[in-house]
Amino acid sequence: MGKAIDLLQGTLEMLILKAVSLGPLHGYGVLLRIQQISGEQLEIQQGSLYPALYRLEHQGWIAGEWGESDNNRKAKFYSLTATGRRQLHSETEKWNRMASLIASILRTTPEEI
Amino acid sequence: MNLTRFRSWLKWMVKGQRLESEMETEVRFHIESRAADLVRKGLSQQEAMRQARIEFGGIESHKDAVRASVGVRWWGELGSDLRHGFRLLRKNPGFTAVAILTLALGVGANTAIFSIVNAVLLRSLPYRDPDRLVRICFNEPGVGLRDVRFSKPELDDLQTRSGVLEDATPIFEGSENVTGTKQPERVEGVNTSFSYFSMLGVVPQIGRLYGPQDFVPGFASEAVISDGLWRRAYGADPNVLGGTIRIDSDPLTIIGVLPRGFRHPGPTTSGEAEVFGAGGFSGDPFPPPIRGNRVLVHGIGRLKPGVTLAQAQARLTAMAAELRHDFPTDYPPQAQWTIEIQPLQGTLVGNVRPMLLVLLGAVILIVFIVSLNIAHLLLARASGRQQEMAVRLALGASPGRVVRQMLTESALLSLIGGAAGIVTAVGTLGFILRFMPSNVPRLNEVRIDWVVLAFALLISILTGLVFGLAPALHSAKGALSSATREGGRGSGYSTKTGRLRDVLIVSELAFAVILMVGAGLLLRTLRDLLQQNPGFNPTQVVTANTWLGVPNDPRTDPYLGISGKAAFDRELLRRMNAIPGVELAAITSALPTTNPNPNAVGGLANEGFAIEDKPVESSQDLHAERIRVSPDYFKVLQATLLRGRSFTEGDEDGKPLVAIIDESTAHKYWPTLDPLGRRVRFAQDPTKPWTTIVGIVKDIKSDGLDIDGVPHIFVSVYQDPSKQVSVVLRTSLPAALLEPQIRHEIEGMDPGLPVFNVVSMNDILDRSLASRRFSADLVGGFAGLAVLLASIGIYGLLAYMVSQRSREIGIRMALGAGRGGVLKLFLQKGIVLAGLGIVAGIVVSASTASLMGSLLYGVRPHDPVVFVIVPLLLFAVAVLASYLPARRATKVDPMIALRES
Repeated sequence: MGKAIDLLQGTLEMLILKAVSLGPLHGYGVLLRIQQISGEQLEIQQGSLYPALYRLEHQGWIAGEWGESDNNRKAKFYSLTATGRRQLHSETEKWNRMASLIASILRTTPEEI
Repeated sequence: MNLTRFRSWLKWMVKGQRLESEMETEVRFHIESRAADLVRKGLSQQEAMRQARIEFGGIESHKDAVRASVGVRWWGELGSDLRHGFRLLRKNPGFTAVAILTLALGVGANTAIFSIVNAVLLRSLPYRDPDRLVRICFNEPGVGLRDVRFSKPELDDLQTRSGVLEDATPIFEGSENVTGTKQPERVEGVNTSFSYFSMLGVVPQIGRLYGPQDFVPGFASEAVISDGLWRRAYGADPNVLGGTIRIDSDPLTIIGVLPRGFRHPGPTTSGEAEVFGAGGFSGDPFPPPIRGNRVLVHGIGRLKPGVTLAQAQARLTAMAAELRHDFPTDYPPQAQWTIEIQPLQGTLVGNVRPMLLVLLGAVILIVFIVSLNIAHLLLARASGRQQEMAVRLALGASPGRVVRQMLTESALLSLIGGAAGIVTAVGTLGFILRFMPSNVPRLNEVRIDWVVLAFALLISILTGLVFGLAPALHSAKGALSSATREGGRGSGYSTKTGRLRDVLIVSELAFAVILMVGAGLLLRTLRDLLQQNPGFNPTQVVTANTWLGVPNDPRTDPYLGISGKAAFDRELLRRMNAIPGVELAAITSALPTTNPNPNAVGGLANEGFAIEDKPVESSQDLHAERIRVSPDYFKVLQATLLRGRSFTEGDEDGKPLVAIIDESTAHKYWPTLDPLGRRVRFAQDPTKPWTTIVGIVKDIKSDGLDIDGVPHIFVSVYQDPSKQVSVVLRTSLPAALLEPQIRHEIEGMDPGLPVFNVVSMNDILDRSLASRRFSADLVGGFAGLAVLLASIGIYGLLAYMVSQRSREIGIRMALGAGRGGVLKLFLQKGIVLAGLGIVAGIVVSASTASLMGSLLYGVRPHDPVVFVIVPLLLFAVAVLASYLPARRATKVDPMIALRES
């Protein structure tokens, strides 16, 4: 994964919210889902996933529940809560606005000033 | 923290153990799943596990981040800090014992005094909506009079015309004889309007209380009694209801018993009210309810709901103006008659508030000094722990983390000390209360409640901060740079810690000065009062009291009229004079210094009078306390008759009325004229005959050793009878020996008469100073403790300096420094610190001493003697405390000191 991009500061939580919004996932599943969606282009330090997961749970944006994994093992599955959904929505909006703003700044040519 | 987060945090706090293991499971699941995927990609099982672990990263640090993210990491750290702290305390039992013991004393004293302050000053009065209860004063500022009497129409104006008061009642307090019970006794009684109990919101223990529906114009024939009297006199018999109790010979029907904790909201003459009666104040035996008949005293009232004190005051001031306008003859304009209200709570505790606040201030200063001393100890220990801190910092602990650890340790110490302090307070509170002067109200309500515990906790935390912060900051800052370099040995008296220590010592000394100045002022006041000439010779005088009762129905009065009463007095004196060992006996209506409540029925009557040929400016502007005495009174007390004559047996009913005035009265009312032969008329009643002044005596301190200048008029007890009969006997026998005979004689005259307070006059004077003695002794004791602690502090500091600098001293001496020079070096240090502390303390004392003004008598707040002696004394102590370690420095053997290093 030499060409992988390091995650921008503070975006991991947003990605986790997005990942579990598609259906309940356990911690490892979140990792796989993010990597899968990103086309294996994102480098996530696996351990740092957990502080983020617990923080989101602490905020009440995701809820963890113990269940069984595909290979019949005990695993904690996270799903998006109602407040989490709202949070994801507002984060997404904020991100999009920010991204388009930055992009437009970067597109600026000398003539435009 | 919102609710969700708080709930999640709480879950961690409570189920931390399980959640920790769940976190473990989750992490293991992750790593094993990853490993399984890697195996599928072709790695060996072992290699896959290794790879998965590497990819995951440091498990413990991630777990720690998890804990931090839900806000419970500090909790774990706190736990380890606490364990560490406990270990340290156990390791230094000497230090721990000293610290906890002094803290226990400091916090204990604070807690005990605060529990009293809380009960007396802070806690609301135990009545319904106590904030709406007010004291009502009628004042005549134009002629300098406060709290003058009022009339029934004026009481009615308060209740109906004012519109801001729900209710109002006058309160008559006084002694009453209770007979018809097991044993005749004298109790405190209260007479009020019928609405008294409903106004306070009292519910009876048994029976019922009188209310507005019981109204009669004169005195009611029902009585309500206190729980105490019910238990004492009736053995808590519920059948007491409907029974008859004779109060001052009046047969009254007991209709109810008050609950146990009930206390009448006002100063009764000497204790708590136990018999409650009501009256309408408009029919016999009261004078006709016209505006000018002002006989009612001591108004209290309840504001209407929603009316603020300021609104009510504004309305009452306006109403007073209307009344002055409507009834110009009843309210002479120059008197400026007006109505003032104050919160009832404040007026009840007014005179003890400054004393309690000074005590509270003293104990707070003491606890500060205690914590400064502990700060020294901790600082010394922190220097010894510099290495430990340096290693921690070098290993990556943040300075904040180190400070937190040190603070945790000192907080632990302060909380243990605080707990010990609470135990001390609980254990000693009863003891302290026993010594509290009896004029402090509400002492029966003193207890250690949640407010007091919260205060104790606050004080403990504050002390912990005071003594913990300095060493903590010191370790965080100083440690890394110096300790690692200097190695294990003590690093000497570095300037940074040095300055910190100096500040501690200087503030400790300053606090000690403040306490000493306070104690000095109080003790000088007390000494002045003890040396006061009371205007008579109190030694070898024994006193006894009885009360003849004031029946509401005069027909039941066995001592009716002037002649009936005079016969009683003469017989009493004959019997007293016949007791072996009694040289001379006399009667007075008021013993010196025993009369805290001039408005009490039968107490010292602060009465208005008229002077012949002098216009009346207000209803009550000429007033003096009238004391009825028998002819030999001045002789028994050995008071000085300045001019004129004393009373004789011939000054009796039917003869011209005579009076003797004291110097204060003479100066006040006849500043330029000779009062002898002038005539006055009591109660300004034109139908009464004139009384001629026949003598002038030197002032007798009748109201208290610390009260000057109250005018008194003495009249003959044979012409103006008194129901309060106090006997004064000049005798060399002690009171205890005479008591049985006095009792026997008075009971021989009338078995229904109570005999009480048989004590020597010196004891009476002594008791009148009890409150001052209490505060002076207590603050004095605290000041002594403060001096001791401060000198220990200064001694310890210099001793520490000497031991830390012994190598330097050795070098100096090896290089030829003399012992004198070394002595000077250290002595100078002590003297400079002492000087700074004393100056700071004196400056603070000088600017705050006037706060104590109301507690002083005969001494100015800036009394030069106190302000000179205190610094000198403390300076001498400080020099001595520095001399001892300084001398030890001169004993340092250069050879040994150098070899040791």
